[in-house]
Amino acid sequence: MPALSAGMEEGTIARWLKAEGDTVEQGEIIAEVETDKAVMEFEAAQAGVLGKIVAREGATVGVNEPIAFLLAVGEQQESLIGISARAPPGPSPAVTSPAPDISKPVANGYHADRVKASPLARRIAARQGMAIAGLQGSGPNGRVVRIDVERAKTSSQTEAVATPVARAHTFTMEPAVHADEGPEGLPYRKVTHSQMRKTIARRLSDAKRTIPHFYLEAHCEIDALLDFRGALNEQANGRYKLSLNDFVIKAVALATQRVPEVNRSWTDEAMHVFDDVDIAIAVATDGGLITPVVRQADRKSLSALSTEISSLAARARAGALQPHEYQGGGITVSNLGMYGVSGFSAIINPPQSCILAVGAAERRPIVRGDACVPATVMTCTLSVDHRAIDGAVAATYLAEFKLLVEQPLQLLA
Amino acid sequence: MPKTRTLAPSSSWVELSTKPADWADAPPALLETMLSSMVLIRTFEEKVLDLAGQGLVHGPAHSAIGQEGGATGSAMAMRGSDQVNGSHRAHHQFLAKAYNFVAPDGLGHAQEFSPNIRSVSKRALSEILGLAQGYCKGRGGSMHLRWAEAGNLGTNAIVGGGVPMAAGAAWAHKRAGTGDVVFTYFGDGAVNIGSVLETMNLAAAWKLPVCFFIENNRYAVSTTVEEATAEPRLSSRGLAFGIPAWKVDGMDPLAVYLASVAATEHMRSGAGPTIIEADVYRFFHQNGPLPGSAFGYRTKEEEAHWRSRDPIDRVATEMAARQLIGDDALVALRTRAQALMDNISGELIEEHEGKRRIVPALWPSPDFRDFGIRGDLLELADARMVEQDEFAGEIVEKRFVDVIADVMDRRMAEDSRIVVMGEDVHRLKGGTNGATRGLSTAYPDRVLGTPIAENAFVGLAGGIAMDGRYLPVVEFMYPDFMWVAADQVFNQIAKARHMFGGDSEMPLVLRTKVAMGTGYGSQHSMDPAGVFATSVGWRIVAPSTPFDYVGLMNSALRCKDPVLVLEHVDLYSSKGPAPSGDLDYCIPLGKAKLLRQGTQMTVLTYLAMVRPVLEAIDRLGVEADVIDLRSLDRAGIDWKTIGPSIGRTNNVLIVEQGSIGTSYGGWLADEIQRRYFDLLDQPVQRVHGAEASPSISKVLEAAACAGPAEIEAGLRRVMADQGTPLDA
Repeated sequence: MPALSAGMEEGTIARWLKAEGDTVEQGEIIAEVETDKAVMEFEAAQAGVLGKIVAREGATVGVNEPIAFLLAVGEQQESLIGISARAPPGPSPAVTSPAPDISKPVANGYHADRVKASPLARRIAARQGMAIAGLQGSGPNGRVVRIDVERAKTSSQTEAVATPVARAHTFTMEPAVHADEGPEGLPYRKVTHSQMRKTIARRLSDAKRTIPHFYLEAHCEIDALLDFRGALNEQANGRYKLSLNDFVIKAVALATQRVPEVNRSWTDEAMHVFDDVDIAIAVATDGGLITPVVRQADRKSLSALSTEISSLAARARAGALQPHEYQGGGITVSNLGMYGVSGFSAIINPPQSCILAVGAAERRPIVRGDACVPATVMTCTLSVDHRAIDGAVAATYLAEFKLLVEQPLQLLA
Repeated sequence: MPKTRTLAPSSSWVELSTKPADWADAPPALLETMLSSMVLIRTFEEKVLDLAGQGLVHGPAHSAIGQEGGATGSAMAMRGSDQVNGSHRAHHQFLAKAYNFVAPDGLGHAQEFSPNIRSVSKRALSEILGLAQGYCKGRGGSMHLRWAEAGNLGTNAIVGGGVPMAAGAAWAHKRAGTGDVVFTYFGDGAVNIGSVLETMNLAAAWKLPVCFFIENNRYAVSTTVEEATAEPRLSSRGLAFGIPAWKVDGMDPLAVYLASVAATEHMRSGAGPTIIEADVYRFFHQNGPLPGSAFGYRTKEEEAHWRSRDPIDRVATEMAARQLIGDDALVALRTRAQALMDNISGELIEEHEGKRRIVPALWPSPDFRDFGIRGDLLELADARMVEQDEFAGEIVEKRFVDVIADVMDRRMAEDSRIVVMGEDVHRLKGGTNGATRGLSTAYPDRVLGTPIAENAFVGLAGGIAMDGRYLPVVEFMYPDFMWVAADQVFNQIAKARHMFGGDSEMPLVLRTKVAMGTGYGSQHSMDPAGVFATSVGWRIVAPSTPFDYVGLMNSALRCKDPVLVLEHVDLYSSKGPAPSGDLDYCIPLGKAKLLRQGTQMTVLTYLAMVRPVLEAIDRLGVEADVIDLRSLDRAGIDWKTIGPSIGRTNNVLIVEQGSIGTSYGGWLADEIQRRYFDLLDQPVQRVHGAEASPSISKVLEAAACAGPAEIEAGLRRVMADQGTPLDA
């Protein structure tokens, strides 16, 4: 199991692209490995014959543990006798479907017993543990396509008990789901952890346990910013559409440029000080949280930021980010305002030292002089690592941020 | 009885031969260098044949043993900065020029050979054996020898194929005013091929300093010159084009030298090209160590007659008569040359288990295979890349064809290296469509209307590009003309960088317009993208808006690889978003543009199909990712945009306009199904034209090209085959 990204400790074999006995060229992709955050391709380091696969699809293997044996030219298969395969956790898939009889060709070249299904439909069905054989196909020649599997799934969920079906093929891009019964007799379903889930759990436990957090809260009045945004979008002629979040990112970037003391990372040996202002953005995906990074965000225009953020977020949700796109970053911004959250405190995303939690823009009464007036207020909470940054520095930083969102013309300066 | 009047050609045609007084007057150093050069070449080629006989030369070994007089005689008339190229039989010409380059003060017959002579011989032999230390890192072998520094532009395995490129180099010399000249060598077999005759015409029309040097060795493989032409005095060809021509006895190196001096003088004076025909004889067969008589197409008597006229013996005899060399010294010269070649081959060949073989460490590494198919695009690293949605200036609606002329005008004003060429590009207010409007007025000497000879003028542009001092922008009036120019487009321009070792650049832009819908019929209505995509040296861009055209043309002009810029007549007259003022930004090569987002399918399209695709999905209410590919070559496919899109939609439709035979989408569909098989809910679907080429009849043309109806049918098919048919 190669280390496919920095800090990778283990990986799961998502899929073998080669079978035992296949010839493998140097550089050829032989397997897909699911790592903390992505499914990555694994290239053969040298040519040979794939002798024995010891880590089956779904198996999780530590870095530098063997996953298969590659026979060099001239080496014999016999040299691998006694080596056994490692199967994925959970019940091993029982293959019960009879061998297809391929001796009965039917009209238009299809074999009667062969189930016609698109590659995608097969994959989704395998993931759901669903048999394709009984499904009504709505594609050409009765081909089972995605929608057939999805319809079947919807209708089966209305039944009280789902019968687990034997799977001829496992594909563990996403967690396999098993029906089970707990020790107290309460029914529950056991969902195998994905690599991503495990990584989130480990990193955030470490962060909450080891980083001495302190929290600063600011209530920012953003009516001017909203007017400014509206004016900009009106003049855009469709070339861009700036979101409130784009302004927040821009303000964080400029504040970081003005108070660079927060752009650093604590290690036991030394402080790591960053020159570039790289802002990580928390994006929720089906698999969990991921933080793509906007590099040198302080040097980018609002419209450029907006385009880049949408692109990163879209690709994050599609699972298509490259490692370099989510690694690094000096400060993270987590915005739950769109869910109506008034304010919250976030856990620092190590090895960074700050995370800004952004709440919803809400109409609230505020006191101005002796009068109570309505205003649009956004509560932002900065979580800070006290090992790296002291309270006064963090307060200056948050004040700078507040100034920038309350006087938004400065964002263009 | 009508009256006739005998007409005289406008150019001279003479036979030049030496008299005893010429030999008596020849400087001793000239004769000594000639002799030493020819002996070196002869022994080098004998070594090649020796190795070929042992099976150590992979591929052909076309020796020129017997023909050295032509190569050495002409090389002696050149200076270091003059250039040559040649054909499949060119070891002698390559070496004569290279030896001359490393020993500008001549070669003494009694001197030890210098390390430079040794190095030239060793690198040339290594190249012929296909080894990494060869001039082209083993890529070129015997037939593709290039050493630019010494003026060897690169030899060619296509008969006559290098001739247009030589004219391109000559064009650059003329434009730069250096006075340098180019000799392009080829044989009697090449005289009848279009590349040569078209280039003679073009070089004469434009007065280029190029010498068409014909080595008439009487046989094209086994076909005699008399069988191939009714006028076997091949220098006669010059009369048709107004090119002065000399015919000389190539077995007399001094005669060749004197003709070459006269020709060179003519060319340096600015008077235009020349032709020299040297009658020579190859002592061996086309290829390998057997004489031609062994194959029955010529007699031993004929071979003995020509062998008695050996050019080396001729010079040795004349020198002996002037007591410039004795028998012993001649033997010593040959012995030293043989020792040099033995010593060199001893470093390349070893004994292994009783057999001789190449020293294994000298082979190129197999992973060098694809290096240099194209450049690394570092030349674009500092370019200002701007997309329309981040453009700071004003966007205005402009006619597409006006923007084409505007950006070229802007670039030509900024960059005096740019030269535009093609049929009628200098007239008709900007060519047949106005795409070069105003350029010939502003830059009269840089907008060249060409004769109707695509193969010659695009090859000439390739020669200019490879020279590197000027930047050619070629227009093919219609894409189908690429077939007329196929050798230069696909064998020469596309392959040159890779074939010659991967380092030489080919910065050339080829513009052409797809003309489907104009009623020009079967031979003017193709979309060339599919064919160009098979030719991996080319980059291809197909802008669908004026804004993208500006950025992609600017990138194409910066790029050091040949770039095909596709245009479309439907787009010419259309209006689209264009920059106001700023014509200097670039758009990356290899970046597609996601124009619409949706979950039901990914539509991949380009050029004039982009707009009708967008209209069709709006009309049908399909939720589709629409991707304008913009870059179409294999290296330019933007998988970073396409892959995630297919991951979201799981269904793919490729839309193009042209007929299926030469269509573009086939290879892309293949690549998609191999990369994304498990993501697909149905086979990759395609919209393209019919099997027939479009006809002139309006109805038949419309039926042959894909249009809105076919796009709609394609969208409906993709929806139906994923189980969600659209309402009729």
